[in-house]
Amino acid sequence: MNNEPIPTTDGPGAGSTRRGFLTLLGVGAAGAALAACSNSPAPTTAAAGGSAPPSSGSSTTSTKAMGGSSAPTTAGGSNGDLDTAAFAASLEVLAVGTYGAALDAATAGKLGDVPPAVAEFATTAKSQHQAALDKWNGVLTSAGKPAVTQPPAKLKATVDGEFAKVTDVKGAAGLALMLEQIAAATYLKAIPTLRSKDAIELAGSINVVDAQHVAVLLFVLGMYPVPDVFAKTDKAASPS
Amino acid sequence: MLNEPALEGLLEESQDLHADAMRETRRALQRLAELHHDVPLDLPDPDHIEAINTERQETQSRVATSLAGAGLLTAGIATGLLGVIASPAHADKPMDIQILQTATSLELLAVATYEAALGLPFIANGNPVVKKFAEETMKQHGEHRMAFAAQTKTLGGKEQTQPNAKYLAVVEQTKPSLAGPADVVKLAATLEEVATDTYLKNLALLDDSDSKALMASVMGVECQHLAVLRAVGALVAGGDAGIALIAIPTDAAKLPAAAGSVAFPAPFEEPNMASPPEEGAVK
Repeated sequence: MNNEPIPTTDGPGAGSTRRGFLTLLGVGAAGAALAACSNSPAPTTAAAGGSAPPSSGSSTTSTKAMGGSSAPTTAGGSNGDLDTAAFAASLEVLAVGTYGAALDAATAGKLGDVPPAVAEFATTAKSQHQAALDKWNGVLTSAGKPAVTQPPAKLKATVDGEFAKVTDVKGAAGLALMLEQIAAATYLKAIPTLRSKDAIELAGSINVVDAQHVAVLLFVLGMYPVPDVFAKTDKAASPS
Repeated sequence: MLNEPALEGLLEESQDLHADAMRETRRALQRLAELHHDVPLDLPDPDHIEAINTERQETQSRVATSLAGAGLLTAGIATGLLGVIASPAHADKPMDIQILQTATSLELLAVATYEAALGLPFIANGNPVVKKFAEETMKQHGEHRMAFAAQTKTLGGKEQTQPNAKYLAVVEQTKPSLAGPADVVKLAATLEEVATDTYLKNLALLDDSDSKALMASVMGVECQHLAVLRAVGALVAGGDAGIALIAIPTDAAKLPAAAGSVAFPAPFEEPNMASPPEEGAVK
């Protein structure tokens, strides 16, 4: 048995008393409050309508990561980062699945003639989203979390509904554009909330490629490829 | 009836647990105090910041292990301590200001370069979409410059009014050899890649959330400029047939297969051409 005196707020050297122990429960609660008091809402990035640069809406970095239960840092950083990683992975599952379905439909002749550049785009984008999914799942499993294998249910339902209407390449490209814009906006919105340097760099590096997918799709669909002065977050998805 | 011996046993156990907790907490607090780094008077070195964050991560891991060993990992104090240790070292306003000044310097150079390109006859009188792209992109970079300059001032820094010296030298050296659209596209792509990579790399170094959101949103557009330039470069390399496809709307059926992938050669952007935070800082 440890005979070390237990300090209390009642005075110095209080010794081993039940009252002393119960007093220290208050100290434990204060410790939890220390973590909880910084659990302010994650900043949001306002939609940059027109030429207005975005704002995070807060001068503090996101503390969703604090969450009252910060895990020891791993490649994925705090639990907030891991939550973001899991959601990002689910979006990548959706992207891979949707491009796969589009390629299957094209191969089956359901989309009519498919230009070589469009086929190349779909194949490349699918493989890049797969690589992104693998990276996020690597982050998650390294942190002891399960790999994500399912897309976000509501968004999947929306995409499935839209895909059912696709009858040609233009429709498929339009659907791909929607997905890529959602992906790019979601990463953009997440970046200011991430705590781990690795997570920020990974999200940023994927955001770049998704934004580039958007530009090429806009061009292929006959639109100006870089219409925005500042990338926007208004199409960002969130866990439902 | 109260079971006195059992109660005494429980009290003894709780006292032992508390003593263990206090011992580990004192060690952790001591380590936390050692982690306190005075804010340097000079502009912080990114390596110094990285070292601080690495040290924090290692300390957090050690503290978590010892707290877990004492059965304390889920306790309130343990949670609070780990959270405090996990907080990244404050990159600090001076670092953020440097980063924004460097970004401003790159935007200044981009504006000047596109302006110079628009003065070249094969751009001014060449493919109308290429010309429009140069005009629109120049305007966008102008807006980026203003936004970065404003954010610099918001953080209390001095606005950078000079183009990035390092790449200005590259542009000036390249200008005399610009003989056609391909050369201009290549130069512009270089600058866009530098900007994209710089913003990507510096995102993780910024402390201020608003600055981070701004930089990410600008990065999201610079990388699209880069994508377009890569695609245009590939089409220009295809001669007249390729140049004819640089149109809005284009004839997608005639685009070469490579047009579907040339704009994004890798699944992840590697910030290999990133400028360090201090490169464009106001001296």
